[in-house]
Amino acid sequence: MLDFSELSLNTSEPVYAQINEFIKRQIFLGKVKKGEPLPSRREMATLLKINPNTAQRAFRALEDAGLVLTPKNTVSILYFDEELLLDIQREMTADIVAEFVKKLKENKLSLDEVMGLLQQEWEKGAKE
Amino acid sequence: MVEIKDLYFTYPNYQTVLENITFSVPTGQIVAVLGANGAGKTTLLKLIAGLLVPDGDVKVRIDGKTPQKISGKIAFISEAGTYFNDLTPKTYGAFLQDFFPTFDKAYFDMLLDFFQLQERPMKKMSKGQKAKVEIAAGMAKRTPYIIMDEPFVGKDMFTRQDFMQALSGTLTGEETIFITTHEIREIENFVDRVIILKENHIAIDITLDVLRQEGKTIQELMKEVIGYEENSFYSLLDKTEDSI
Repeated sequence: MLDFSELSLNTSEPVYAQINEFIKRQIFLGKVKKGEPLPSRREMATLLKINPNTAQRAFRALEDAGLVLTPKNTVSILYFDEELLLDIQREMTADIVAEFVKKLKENKLSLDEVMGLLQQEWEKGAKE
Repeated sequence: MVEIKDLYFTYPNYQTVLENITFSVPTGQIVAVLGANGAGKTTLLKLIAGLLVPDGDVKVRIDGKTPQKISGKIAFISEAGTYFNDLTPKTYGAFLQDFFPTFDKAYFDMLLDFFQLQERPMKKMSKGQKAKVEIAAGMAKRTPYIIMDEPFVGKDMFTRQDFMQALSGTLTGEETIFITTHEIREIENFVDRVIILKENHIAIDITLDVLRQEGKTIQELMKEVIGYEENSFYSLLDKTEDSI
């Protein structure tokens, strides 16, 4: 079962978008498998202290994104095909890097400077 | 569906509290009515609940009718507490069950348990405990319209969060809810829409979707519109703490 206890909602993005993002991340990290059941809408509302319409909307967004299937009269399950998985992987890696590089270029930083900073920051993270 | 059009309200002492209030709320929407103390929040809620009558012609319509005509479909929950001080929570529940056909006794008992309320006359309870009985009673009426005036007053953070969780898990999504509170944080991810009152008028009326597209939180919006700091009002009030 998909575990929502690690999702801490912020107050700046739409709740349904945060849920969507969280699930994509769980898939990317390999923490959930295809076919895994999702909590019910009511359970999701209770766990996240959101209103039931927001939970409903999150489900609809997930279904629209092709990440959740709700077969008739059964619980919703997580679903993703190869193509979707590749999309998610790209989103979680290449897109982040592209955005990062764009911002750095806007700040007029050179590749050498960035590499240096990156290494510093990376090693800092490793020590913590 | 709640429709309010050109609403004005003046108290008998000629003090005008609300002017030119117009908005409508579709079924199932959860609306936070915010504003500084004295901005008219409670008055607006009482007008929607039909506990006050606006100036002039009919200005509030709920499902096309006046609130007074469908009072059985509206639950008004406030910190004011109960008028039935001699009853215990359970006997109060039995009384309400006789009175309201939709009263959900099992849900009421669950909420009493949840709030850890003991069986004793309500006159012997603290203000916070009485408010909890009123919340339980109001919710258990299972009405399609729920109006909550400061439901968090006198409750600590854990009780507030527990209450939000109980609320999230027990609503069906069909209820239309109005809520006033100073505890903005508790409702940031719960409400669909925010209406801020300032100097008798609606200063802003915005959905959470649009607000977040603009990259703002409700707290930031409050600061911007009325220069509000969360919880600063506590310094002005005698804090009523729960005795639990």
